[in-house]
Amino acid sequence: MKLIEKFISVLILLFGVTGLVHAQISLDITKKVESGGIPIAIAPFSGGAPENIAGIIAADLQRTGKFALQPPNAQASYSVTGQVNPGGSRGYIVQFQLNGAQGGTLLNLSFDIPANQLRPVGHRISDLIYEKLTGEKGLAGTRIAFVAGGGGVWYLVVADADGQNPQVILRSSQPIMSPAWSPDGSKLAYVSFEGRRPQIIVQDVYNSARRIVSAAPGINGAPAWAPNGQRLAFTLSKDGNPEIYALDLATQAPVRLTNNGAIDTEPAWLPDGSIIFTSDRGGSPQLYRIGAGGGAAQRLSFEGDYNARPAVSPDGRYLAMMHRRGGRFHIAVMDLQTRQFRVLTSGGTAESPSFAPNSQMIIYSDGQRLSAVSVDGTVQQDFALRGRARDPVWGPYGR
Amino acid sequence: MQNSIRILIAAASMALLASCASTGESTDPTPQDVPQPEITGQPGQEAYSYAYGQAPGSYDSYDTGSGTYSGYSSGGQSGQSGQSGQSGQLGQPMAGMGGSMVSADRIVYFDFDSADIRPESQTIIESNAGYLRGNPRIITQLEGHTDERGSREYNIALGERRANAVRQVMSAMGVSSQQIRVVSYGEERPAASGRDEQSHALNRRVEIVY
Repeated sequence: MKLIEKFISVLILLFGVTGLVHAQISLDITKKVESGGIPIAIAPFSGGAPENIAGIIAADLQRTGKFALQPPNAQASYSVTGQVNPGGSRGYIVQFQLNGAQGGTLLNLSFDIPANQLRPVGHRISDLIYEKLTGEKGLAGTRIAFVAGGGGVWYLVVADADGQNPQVILRSSQPIMSPAWSPDGSKLAYVSFEGRRPQIIVQDVYNSARRIVSAAPGINGAPAWAPNGQRLAFTLSKDGNPEIYALDLATQAPVRLTNNGAIDTEPAWLPDGSIIFTSDRGGSPQLYRIGAGGGAAQRLSFEGDYNARPAVSPDGRYLAMMHRRGGRFHIAVMDLQTRQFRVLTSGGTAESPSFAPNSQMIIYSDGQRLSAVSVDGTVQQDFALRGRARDPVWGPYGR
Repeated sequence: MQNSIRILIAAASMALLASCASTGESTDPTPQDVPQPEITGQPGQEAYSYAYGQAPGSYDSYDTGSGTYSGYSSGGQSGQSGQSGQSGQLGQPMAGMGGSMVSADRIVYFDFDSADIRPESQTIIESNAGYLRGNPRIITQLEGHTDERGSREYNIALGERRANAVRQVMSAMGVSSQQIRVVSYGEERPAASGRDEQSHALNRRVEIVY
């Protein structure tokens, strides 16, 4: 019975690098968790279709790190069988069964879909299986957004959670930055430099309509949607230096929340409406928290000499950030309940963390490519995308 | 229909730029007397939005960037904007300069994580300040930049801090505040594409753009 066959944990004690103040910070790099997952065998779907649905399901489940794919007819394994055939009222009928390890049918569903929904249905089946066997909602049907290109042409791209099916929703000859999903997944706020000045724009993902939310003199940056989708926090420097503002999207009246001569930027909302942001008011960039209406700021980050770009998990438990140590940038996560602090990456150029809607996975960029890591560091994913990809943001669960 | 959306966006952008260009300044000289770098020249549309799944061509057909930069000019040589106010040249463009085409005598460099003006930069700022004092109708845009290290939005703030440092020196040298605009591109428009310290040093800069 092999449980965890190859679990490589590199413990780097950072004595000597930053002195003894924060001894015993460990850098856990889990290269691979080969087994110990839920055993499942996925047979090729019979029939004929332009998409390999069984392959999509297998890749989706493998990526979660919670399954161990088995050869067909493996003992003591869950099994998935299915078929896809032209027909139905819309083009294709997809049918699948999830069977228990001791026999018995756990799921048996069919879908009547057009051809362009074959891949989404594969992800849907993956999530149904995942939820049935783990009790948690799956991420296969979610989407990511990121900025591609640079150096002359920039793209805002929306792709499936596996990085496939990338769709350009904005092309610009000026920089695009800091996309942020609305909580309902229908809109993206972002910073665009078109006109050679930064503006915050909200774009409807599905009909391309755009609305300029802020174009004040100076910086217009770092948009962040409140959990209820009715307010947008961002950074403006119109009053002399960068400060955090919150805009009620219905009334269009931005309210200033910080008042400090230092840089205040990168707001991120907690579920209770309070805001975590980056400030160098203490001399180096660190994370602070203010209430929903502003007020006194409480410092949250103390590890390392540079902590920035906060990201709050949707359940409010975790705070991810860019963390510099020894001149190298990592993604780190703090448990806001226990204050436990963990460094999750090792590459040295990691930036722009964003939580998946399950609050367990964090997508980030190394400046060139996208990866994801679980908050406990045990699951790692790399995204195979063309060209450069930066500023990734994980969208919410589907409606 | 998509065309009409684009036209609306272009029109909105123009209106926005026009309104922004006339805010925050006193009324003397009058706006039409002042060169407006952002709205003169060819204000051609710079961004196109698409409904999900409706972009022309597949993503595979787009040039999504290799990480190299080929001759981006923040001086406006793309012809999109920023050209018309350029009635005087302080120096010759240096095309080979790490991909930037702003001449060396219009670039102020900075130390890592610093917005302090180096002593050797005073000469460059002074010569540009003298030019602006002698040409009160010319407006300059100070474009702040950082190297790639650190958070993108924090670097936007750091780039603005650098541009403001140059602005303050220019103001102390007698340049009217109405002749100076500031914009920060953070790390989004590097002059050099390498990830080494030499490239980083070339990227930590303020470009004085006319």
